Amino acid sequence: MPGTTTGQDIKLIIEKGNGGGGGNTPPAGGDGGGDDGKRGREGQPSALKYYTGIAIAIVSILMFFMALASAFLIRKGTGGWVPVRIPGLLWVNTAILLTSSATLEMARKHLANSDLSGFRRLWRVTTILGVLFLVGQLVAWRILAGQGIYLATNPASSFFYIFTGAHALHLLGGVCALLYVARRNFDQAKVSLGVAAEVVSYYWHFMDALWLFLLALLYLGK
Amino acid sequence: MVTHDDGGNASPSSGSGVLSRLFSTHHKTIGLQYLWLALASVLVGMVLSALLRLHATWPDRAIPFLASMESTPERFAAMRLLHGSLMVFFVLTAAPQLGFGNYLLPLQIGAEEMAFPSLNRLSLWMTVVSLAGMTGSFFLPLANGINLWLASAALFSLAALFSALNFATTTIDMRAKGMTLPRMPVTVWAWFVNAILSMLIFSVLLAGCSAVLSDRLLGSNFFSTASFLAAQPQNLVRQGSLPILWQRLFWYFAQAEVYVAMLPCFGIVTHLIATFARKPVWKERLVVLALCGVGLVGFCVWGYHMFATGLNPYAPLVFSVLAASLGIPAAFLLASWLGTLWNGRVQLNTAMLFTIGFISLFIAGGFSGMFLARHDLARAAVSEEFVIGHFHLVMGVAATFAILAALFFWFPKLFGCRLNEGLGKLHFWMTFAGVYAIFMPLHWVGLLTQSHVLGDAQRAAIASAGASIRTFVTLATVWTVSAQTLFVINFLYSLLHRKRAEENNPWRATTLEWSIASPAPEGNFGDVPPVVYRGAYEFHGDSELDFAPQHLAPELPAVKAQ
Repeated sequence: MPGTTTGQDIKLIIEKGNGGGGGNTPPAGGDGGGDDGKRGREGQPSALKYYTGIAIAIVSILMFFMALASAFLIRKGTGGWVPVRIPGLLWVNTAILLTSSATLEMARKHLANSDLSGFRRLWRVTTILGVLFLVGQLVAWRILAGQGIYLATNPASSFFYIFTGAHALHLLGGVCALLYVARRNFDQAKVSLGVAAEVVSYYWHFMDALWLFLLALLYLGK
Repeated sequence: MVTHDDGGNASPSSGSGVLSRLFSTHHKTIGLQYLWLALASVLVGMVLSALLRLHATWPDRAIPFLASMESTPERFAAMRLLHGSLMVFFVLTAAPQLGFGNYLLPLQIGAEEMAFPSLNRLSLWMTVVSLAGMTGSFFLPLANGINLWLASAALFSLAALFSALNFATTTIDMRAKGMTLPRMPVTVWAWFVNAILSMLIFSVLLAGCSAVLSDRLLGSNFFSTASFLAAQPQNLVRQGSLPILWQRLFWYFAQAEVYVAMLPCFGIVTHLIATFARKPVWKERLVVLALCGVGLVGFCVWGYHMFATGLNPYAPLVFSVLAASLGIPAAFLLASWLGTLWNGRVQLNTAMLFTIGFISLFIAGGFSGMFLARHDLARAAVSEEFVIGHFHLVMGVAATFAILAALFFWFPKLFGCRLNEGLGKLHFWMTFAGVYAIFMPLHWVGLLTQSHVLGDAQRAAIASAGASIRTFVTLATVWTVSAQTLFVINFLYSLLHRKRAEENNPWRATTLEWSIASPAPEGNFGDVPPVVYRGAYEFHGDSELDFAPQHLAPELPAVKAQ
C-alpha cells in the first residue's frame, strides 16, 4: 500500500484538475489498514462506517428474532401446541456452522500474515461449509416434511420453520457476502480486503451465535 | 440507469436524464423525493378525512368519489385504514425523518453524503412500492386487500430499517472535523435517537407482519387462523388469546411509532425556537437527554394500549407508571422551549408561528393523554372519539405543524427562495383555528356519549347534542381542508415565481447548511471540508450580528452574514 497521505494529496490534485468530473475514479489512497484516518474527509475511504453499520444491523436483526422468540414463548402457553422433535441432522449442521466460524478466523489470521493464498483457500472452505449448512437445513426440512410436519401443521411447527427459515435466509446473505469478498478486486475499492473480511466475519459469527440461541430455544423450549 | 453506485463521487449531474435524476443516490435528491411523496400523501389523506367525516355525518348522501364503490362498513373501515396508513407511514414517518433528515443531516454535520447512498436509494424505492401497495390494497376485495397491506407494511418496515441504519451510521461516522457530539444541532440528535428507536421497533413490526402474512397465505399458526381453529377441539383453543399476541407485537411497534413521528419534530421545534428567539437552547444538554429519554420510554410503553384487552393484572399499573413517566422528558422539552422563548427577541414569521402552534397543540394533546394513561379510566369513561381527538392533536396535527414549520424554515435551502409570508400567516391562522375546532369538540363528544352514570332520558338529550357537535366537527374539517389550498397556492406560486435567493443565510442561522449556497450545490461543501469550531446555538448580544455560525473560527472577530 502506498503512503496514505501522499496518495490523498495526489487525489486532491487530480480532482481539482478535472473538476471532480471523473465519475469512475474512486478514491485511491488510504486503504492501508483502513483504521487510520477514520474521521477524515468524507469521500476518502472511511472504513469505520462499515463497522458501525454492521453493528447496528446486528442489533436490528437480533430485535427481529427476539420479537419472534417472545411470540414463541407466549404462544407456547396457549392451546394446540405439539412439540416438534428436532431432527438429529441439526446437530451435524450445527457442528458444520461452528467449524465454518473457526475456518473463517483461520483465514483472517492468514490474511494478517499476508498469506493471501492461505486466506483464499480457507475462505473458500468457509463458504463451502456455509453452503453445506444451508443444504443440511433443507434436508432437515425434507425429513420433517416426510414425517408429515409442515409449516401449517401446528404452532410449534410454524415456529420451527420460521426460525430456521429466517435464519437460513440471513445466512444466505452471509454466504453472498463471503462470495462477494472472494470475488471482488480490492485494489480499486474504498476499503481493504482486511476490512471487508473483518466486517463479514462479525456478521458470520453473529449468525453462528444466533443459530445456537435458536437451537437452544427450539430444543429447550419445546 | 446511469447512476453510480458509490456515493463518494460528486458528479451525479453527468447523466442529466430524468431517469438518472429519479434514481439518484444523492442524499438531497432522495430527501426531496421523500418530501414530494409526503406532500402527495398528505393531500390525499386530508381529502380522505374530509370524505370520512362527510359520510359519517350525512350517511345517506352520495359522495362522488365513493358512489362508485359498494357502501359497506368494510369499505368505510378500509378508507379509514387508507387515511391512517398514508398519514402515519408516508407523512408523519417519512417527512420529518426521511425527507428533511436525508436532505439536512449530511449538511448539518458537514458530510458529503449519507454513509450508504445505494442503500438509501433502495429504501426510497421500497417506500414508493409500499405506498403503491397500500393505496392499491384499498381497491382490492377485503381479504386480498389486507394481504397486500400487510406485505406493504412489511416492505415499509424493511425500508425504514435500512434508512435507520444509514442515519445512525452517518451520524456516528461521517461528522466533519470539530463536530463533536455536544456541538451537534438538536435536530441531528433527534434524527439520530429516532434512527436507533426505529431500528428496534421496525424489526418487531417486520416480524409481526411476516408472521401474520404467513398465517394468512401459508396457513401457519403463529396467531392462529380460522382453518387451524376449525381443525382443533374447541376446548384446546382459548379463543381470543391469540389475536392478543398479534396485538402485543403490533402495539409494541405502534406505541413507539408515535415517538418515531414526534422525535424529529421535537428536534425541529427546538432548533427553530432557538433560531427565531435569537437565544441559545435553554439547557441544551438536558434537552438531548430528554430526547434520549423519549426514545427509551417510548420503546417501553407499548403495554398501555393493552389495558382494554387484559394483560397480567399488575402489568397495567407498571405500564401506566411508564406512560406517565413519559411526561417527564416531555415536560422537560416544554420547559426548555419556554425557557428559550423567555426574554428572547422573538421573530414571529410563519415558521415560528407554526412552531409555537406545535407547542400549543402538544400541550393540549398531551393534557388529554394524561387521562388516557390512567389504567382504570381508559376503559370506563371515554369513547373512541376522545382517543381520536387526543392522538390527532398530539401526533397528527402537532407533527404536521412541525413539518410545515420546517418547510417554511428550510424552503430557501431546498429551493433557493422563500415562501410567501403573508399567505403563510393566513394559512397558519386558518389551520390553527380549524384544527382546534375539529379536535376539541371531539374530546367533548367522547366524554359525553360515554357517561354511564346518566339516566336514559338524559342520555337521549345528550345524544342529540352530540349529533349537532359532530356536524360542527365535520364543517370544521371541510374548512381546514379547504384552508390547505392556500398552502398549495403558496407553494406553487413561490416555486414558479422564484427569483434568485438574495442571500445564503436569510434567517441568520448558525448551522452548517447555511454556510453554503442555496439551494445547496451538488457537492455540498465542495473541495474544502467544513471545520466546526463551536456549538450549534451561539446567539448573543443585541447587535445586528448577534450570532456565531458553527464554522466560524474563533480568532475571527466578526461575522459576515453572507
